[in-house]
Amino acid sequence: MTPRDRRSLLSGLGFTSLWIVGFGTFVAYPMLASLFYSFCDYSILKSPVWCGFENYQTLVRDDLFWKSLRNTLFFAGLAVPLGTITALSLALLLNCEVRGRAFFRTLFYLPSIVPVVASSMLWLWMLNGKFGLINALLAPVLAPFGLTPPVWLADPAWAKPALVMMSLWGVGNAMVIYLAGLQNVPRELYEAAAIDGAGAWPRFRHITLPTIAPVIYFNVIMGLINALQIFTQAFVIAEGAEGNPARSTLFYTPYLFSTAFYDLRMGYASAMAWVLFALIAGLAWLATRLMRDSLH
Amino acid sequence: METAAEKSPAPVRASRARASRRQYVIYGLLACAALVFLTPLAWLLATSLKPVEQTMSMPPTWIPRTHSALLDGERVEVSRDYQVTQPGVIAEITAGPEAGRRLLFTDEQAAARQAEIRVLHRVESGWWRVTERSATNIVARTARWDVVPPEAIESRVRFRWENYPKALVALSGKSVEEIEAEARRGASAPAAAAPASDAPGFSTFLGNTLTVCVLGVLGVVFSNALVAYGFARLRWRGRDTFFAITLATMMVPFPVLVVPLYGLFKQLGWIGTLLPLWAPAWFASAFNIFLLRQFFRTIPEELSEAARIDGCSEFAIFWRIILPLSKPALATAALLHFLFAWNDFMGPLLYLTRQKSFTLALALQSYQSQQSGVQWHYLMAASAVTILPIVLLFFFAQKTFIQGIATTGSRS
Amino acid sequence: MSPFGRARVLRRGVLGAVLATTFLRAAPDAGRIHLSYWEKWAGIDSAGMRAVVAAFNEAQSRYVVEYLPVSQIERKVVVATAGGDPPDIAGLWAQNVASFADNEAILPLEDLVRRDGGTTDQWLARYYPVYADICRHQGRMFAAVSTPATIALHWNKALFREVGLDPERPPRTLAELDEFSRRLAKRDPATGAILRLGFLPQEPDWWPWLYCAWFGGQLFDGRAVTLGTDPRNLAAMRWVAGYTRDAGLASVTTFASGFGKYGTPQTAFLNGKIAMMFQGVWFNNFIQKFRPGLDYGVAPFPAAQAGVEDFTLAEADVLVIPRGARHADGAWEFIKFVNSHNAHAQNRSELQGMELLCFLQQKNSPLRDWSPFFTQHHPHPHIAEFRRLSASPHAIRIPDVGVWQEYDRECKAMFERVRLLVATPEEAIAYTHARVSASWARHQLSLVRHGQLAEAPSPTRAP
Repeated sequence: MTPRDRRSLLSGLGFTSLWIVGFGTFVAYPMLASLFYSFCDYSILKSPVWCGFENYQTLVRDDLFWKSLRNTLFFAGLAVPLGTITALSLALLLNCEVRGRAFFRTLFYLPSIVPVVASSMLWLWMLNGKFGLINALLAPVLAPFGLTPPVWLADPAWAKPALVMMSLWGVGNAMVIYLAGLQNVPRELYEAAAIDGAGAWPRFRHITLPTIAPVIYFNVIMGLINALQIFTQAFVIAEGAEGNPARSTLFYTPYLFSTAFYDLRMGYASAMAWVLFALIAGLAWLATRLMRDSLH
Repeated sequence: METAAEKSPAPVRASRARASRRQYVIYGLLACAALVFLTPLAWLLATSLKPVEQTMSMPPTWIPRTHSALLDGERVEVSRDYQVTQPGVIAEITAGPEAGRRLLFTDEQAAARQAEIRVLHRVESGWWRVTERSATNIVARTARWDVVPPEAIESRVRFRWENYPKALVALSGKSVEEIEAEARRGASAPAAAAPASDAPGFSTFLGNTLTVCVLGVLGVVFSNALVAYGFARLRWRGRDTFFAITLATMMVPFPVLVVPLYGLFKQLGWIGTLLPLWAPAWFASAFNIFLLRQFFRTIPEELSEAARIDGCSEFAIFWRIILPLSKPALATAALLHFLFAWNDFMGPLLYLTRQKSFTLALALQSYQSQQSGVQWHYLMAASAVTILPIVLLFFFAQKTFIQGIATTGSRS
Repeated sequence: MSPFGRARVLRRGVLGAVLATTFLRAAPDAGRIHLSYWEKWAGIDSAGMRAVVAAFNEAQSRYVVEYLPVSQIERKVVVATAGGDPPDIAGLWAQNVASFADNEAILPLEDLVRRDGGTTDQWLARYYPVYADICRHQGRMFAAVSTPATIALHWNKALFREVGLDPERPPRTLAELDEFSRRLAKRDPATGAILRLGFLPQEPDWWPWLYCAWFGGQLFDGRAVTLGTDPRNLAAMRWVAGYTRDAGLASVTTFASGFGKYGTPQTAFLNGKIAMMFQGVWFNNFIQKFRPGLDYGVAPFPAAQAGVEDFTLAEADVLVIPRGARHADGAWEFIKFVNSHNAHAQNRSELQGMELLCFLQQKNSPLRDWSPFFTQHHPHPHIAEFRRLSASPHAIRIPDVGVWQEYDRECKAMFERVRLLVATPEEAIAYTHARVSASWARHQLSLVRHGQLAEAPSPTRAP
């Protein structure tokens, strides 16, 4: 290593030193510690006792683990694509030259900043099977076909879709990122396309989409990470780890949380957390592969 | 996109017609979306202005109303409790241990107890039982009540703006009634007017929230800018590997970290203090490093080179050249963290143990009580108050915000 | 008593309590030891306990108790205890005692009792037996009652009258409950939609396991989980499923989604959508608040087994001292104060400790002895019935199992699956039995690992 290399290494490390400390303290240490706990019988109140692979073995046999995993994947499988479409559509609308953009942007962003306790309660009311606003609108539409709207959160089959609907209301963050991405689409390309007489869809398909593909990739990955960790809404609406009705809304993180902080099984919860990490990493890798293939 | 349409070679008129038709479609779609997004919020506001018994009525009502009726010859504000399903009489018990109680009797009951009751008036089915609304009664049962025909009830729209100050007072976990009684006591006996209450209230929670937000934002901006500079503008061995690891940490789910972090904060003696909520922000985080790094890389390298030739230190370049050019990106990182910290529920839920260190997001829970039900009107009013500052912040900062992300995203 | 006399006494009491709190707050308390007390009640319910706290602070000069309402209290106490900064006194629920004790989160109280002279049995003899039992975990005393809540059948007399039932005669047997329920049900003649039901097991769904116990089923025999081995548990779940089947799943679900949330004026019973409901003594507070004047009665659970009358569940809020509390001595003094009373109280101002608390909260006292004033002027119109039920030999408590939280949660899931006809009662019970047994085995293994239990876990019986 030349002195110049060493100097640059030192200044590089110097600038990143805060992160090195932060990474070590708030990421690496907790990760290793939780890996250790995942091999222990541990409640936070008593000292950990090593128990080998017991937690992982129990996990494989734990019905609720599988159930919460299935519920979570179902939720993410619906919420991520629908959320992407919703957020992107809103962003495209707001990207047009319209009056009051600031107002609309704020309005669409608003739900993401309403305190969850309040927004969950709003949705409990919106989704009420008998008197909720959604069914008040749906009932007349379905009536001619002899159908009645679902009772949403009271029906094991419809509770998860109801939560997906609720999550679509909070796409503000993703929308803002798409808006930013759309600002980077070069105007000249649109103008050239317009001269060629290309319609709205071809322009979107061949200009907008390829340009913002990295933004979509980023949002999908972040959306996936968030959807797999769905917590607060489920926690408030499904009353913690119960996942009513009939455990149809028992999701992974709430189950993990209640295992850790209500049943005081920190070791088991750590094992669950590591499985979740592996899952997210795997899915992110898969998404990256798919993305790369579709771009080439 | 509109400019593209205007410049099209097609006849100007047709193009204009098409453009305006498109405008209508766009506004139509926007209006629909706005309606979908507004409805729950409108309901939040409507609820915050209602009396509690109208908040969760089934079927739901939108408009807050107030009712008044004649009780003992005096027109007072009442709550409509329920409609009587059977005709009968209102009578006062005149004998026995229950003497003095006024009750609603069916005709047969009244006949059976004829000797010990005094009939006051008749009641028909469909009449409303009404109770005097009185904010100062601690025990509702002392309020006056009667059963009156529907037409005797005057009903009009009234928005209860007083819910707002009351909601903020009630954040301390005490009931409004208790606090009002204390206040009256304080006013009538100035000698005893000690600092009104030792229970932490809205101002405490707001102060805590602001502390967490401001200290966190300062930390986020300072630490991430510094670290991102190291990744974006310096060349050193291992940089790209370390950066890749950094990006990978974005995938680590919070549950993996939560238990050991809890243990760590416990060792540091931070449990029950605000430190766990803002101190980690001073040590950078993957997302913000990424955001700022992307932005820093868009600044021409020549600027740094020129400064280096002039003998500037790396830190001086960072501080005097790069930072001033990066205001939109820094503002974005700051705003994102502010919004996150303002609403963070999980962190305070885990680490704060004492009421006096609660943040607003956590304090909102105090309207939910196991035994006396949720005070919906106060919950919604306090929520509205809580979100107002960040709504305004977002409204005025959104352009910079989106600009900040846009510039960083272009070369990702 | 003058018109509204009782109410006036009560109001004066609450106001007095509030004033006392204010006054005492202003008084100098320099040199006194501050005790922090976390309690789950907020709003009106806390007024009673605040009054007792004020009285305690006035009654002695060594300690000052600070009352703090805390939401999600059981988790907060765990977290604070683990973090080394617990309150001195915590107000938990009876159901938390076993798990907190097994996790060494709360202190056994024997030493403190012994120091005052006497044994825990002597100390606990002040309570009705079922309440004494609630304070114990595996024979050791870990808690004291703060306020009890005995559960009883509440019935709407007006609705009974409407369908021609005797409003003064509640169902006395299970068969009668079912029959009355059928007679009380009402449907829209045009659409067939349910307008009213006599009884609905899911309203409220807080104690699904209680139906098992009510049917005579045993949930835990002290060594093993017996949910799946006792056929009476199955009978109870079949009975639950029967209610859904009778009324029709879709109709019931739609009907029930029109209920307001519990604790609002739209609570089904208060609205007349349900005519009979199991509720605790606290329910009168909701009735007074949201349906004043509702004509209702209170009765024991209808007999589900021959010869078992006056069945009830005794629940309680309890006071505990978390491990690591700085002032356990002071905490114990406060707990004793709450559990004292003036046996000769003749008027409101003479009420003390537990009776002051239960009077203001309008609940029954868990103490065997009630003062004349408390007995005669209690604001709850049916308090005598609750007292009688607390003393019943068939009053049961929540099972003393270290994994009760999981057991309870599993039972709720079992109940949901049964009532929604997602699973047959047999499947649901067998499944739940297996899960809870595994939890219990694991819990015992953990106790052995941490040196809290000598023997290896006993094998659990298969259903």
